[in-house]
Order: sequence, then C-alpha cells, then structure tokens
Amino acid sequence: MIDKLKIFFNKFFAKVFRKKKHVKIGLYGPPNAGKTSLANRICQDWLGEEINMGTVSEIPHETREIQVKEKINIKKKGKEISFNLIDTPGIATKIDYEEFTAFKMNKKKAKERAKEATKGVIEAIKWLDNMDTVVVVLDSTKNPYSQVNITIIGNLAARDIPVLIVANKVDLKKSNMKKIEAAFPQYPIVGVSALKGNNVDEFYEELIKTV
Amino acid sequence: MPHQCVKCGKLYPAGCEELLKGCGCSGRFFFFVKDEAVEQAKEVTENLTKVEKNQIESDVLDIVGDKFEDKPVILDFESIKIKKPGKYELDLVDLFKGRPIVYKLQEGKYVIDIISSFAAKNLDKEVE
Repeated sequence: MIDKLKIFFNKFFAKVFRKKKHVKIGLYGPPNAGKTSLANRICQDWLGEEINMGTVSEIPHETREIQVKEKINIKKKGKEISFNLIDTPGIATKIDYEEFTAFKMNKKKAKERAKEATKGVIEAIKWLDNMDTVVVVLDSTKNPYSQVNITIIGNLAARDIPVLIVANKVDLKKSNMKKIEAAFPQYPIVGVSALKGNNVDEFYEELIKTV
Repeated sequence: MPHQCVKCGKLYPAGCEELLKGCGCSGRFFFFVKDEAVEQAKEVTENLTKVEKNQIESDVLDIVGDKFEDKPVILDFESIKIKKPGKYELDLVDLFKGRPIVYKLQEGKYVIDIISSFAAKNLDKEVE
C-alpha cells in the first residue's frame, strides 16, 4: 500500500514538475524482437547516420546491459518531443547457454553470456519504474500470447505507464499484424521494420501522441 | 521457510544462526526455498558437482554485483532457479513484484536486497 502511494505521489509530482526534455522512453520486449535495431533506427534518423545505440545480432541476448542515449528530439507534423532513450536487455523466462552454443559459440562464452543475460533481465525490470513511456517491441512473426509479452504489458498497465506497441519485422512473410492487434486491442500498435525503415514515420507520430 | 546450504544440502529454518555465520560445512551460500519446493531444490543440489556449485556461487555474486565479504548470501530459489551453471529459469511475476532475489542478513534483524541497492546506484549515475 505504501509502495502504491509512493508511486502515485512520485508520478503526480513528476507530472507537475517534470521538464519535458527529461522524459525517459524505454524500449522493452523479449530477446531478438528488434529493440536495438529500433533504437539504432531512431538514433540514425534523429541524431545522425553514423550514430548507433548498440550492436545487433541474430544470437539472442546481444544487449545485456542498459544503454542510454540522451537528448533525442523528434519533430513530426508540427509537434515535437525531446527525450532520453533507454534500450534494455530482452526479457525472458528461461535462459539456457545451449541456446548460444547452437550458434557455434564455445561453452565457456555461452555460459558467461547466459549469466550476463540473466543479470540484464533483472536490471531491465528494476529500471521499469523510472520510465515515463514504454515502447514494447514485439516480433510480429511470433505468437504474441507469450508469458513475457503479457507480463510486461500487464505490469506497465498496473504501473500506469503509457505504452506503445511496436510490431517489428513486418517486412517478413511470416509477419502477422492482425494477430498482434487481436492480442492487445486496448493499446496503440504500429507495424514497422526497424531494419529496413518501413513505416517508421507512423511510429514517430504515434510515439509523439503516446508521450 | 527452509534455507538450504548449496554446498552440503543441509536445511536450516529461518532466523537460524547458521544463516548469519555460514553453514557448519563452511558454505556461505544458501537457497531460500518454499516448503513445497524443498524436494526440487534437493534434487538440484544433489546433481551438482563441487565445481558446478562453486561456479553457481560465483555467478550469483556476479549477477547481483556484490562480494561475499564475511556475510552469507541467500538466493530466492523461486525467483531465479539455477539448475546448472548457464541454465536459468526466471519467475517474471516475482521479479516484477520487486521481491528480493538475493539478500543478506545482518545482525539477525535486517534483510538487505542487494540487487535493489545496486540498481538504484546505477539509476542515480546514469539517468538523473
């Protein structure tokens, strides 16, 4: 109860006194959904072509530490937002080093990666209360009804943090936007390809609305 | 609620002196286990070699970003199950609730969630 009151007052004062330029937007989602690809896309579009937030890999859990990029300005249709972007490690219920050895990584490195990925999940969850808005990045080629997706989105609702869902990888044949929309009908959803840049303008417009 | 020494598998009740000083076998790393999960925890520790137990112990410390110092460390076996080094199962519901994952007891009175203090430090430094 005290925690809930604390959260309420923190949010209340944050809303009253917060300077818009210090809004914190977090990218959350399962591993390999494309959070870092989207972060890189945002940085390239608004900070300059050479600027990246992190490395992208087909091996899950490539991002294992929180990454922060400060002071990003987005302008669309006469509206503007300024924010700090926080890219987080992918959230998973199970992390097994054998998942990485399947990519020909040696056992020692794979175990180290599993440990760091576990640490990353814990860190990402601990940071959640500090976010003003969260962009949940999902892989639109995968089943949206996963424990990870539902737990993340449910917890954001409970914390009263505004959510924008990005259904990534719409350029792939297996992508199924309708399934994502059916799973989370109460949230704004934008389908994009962070890698190829499809539909990112609509994403920026929605982001401005959500913030 | 039982606490199990990872090194020798011995069970200790909450508030027990060994949790503050370390197990009689010199172990300083415990699983905090619900009554109904005791058998599962026993199975895990029985199937681990000495090398694997040491590895898990050092991995947990690395995950929480702390050193053993002189105080035993207790891992909530419900929030994070480590069955073998490099194999983790996370209870997201517990983690989102902010329940302590790893903690230390001090002076028999205080429970300190190591990860919470660790995360708060990071936030102050990087975001504010």
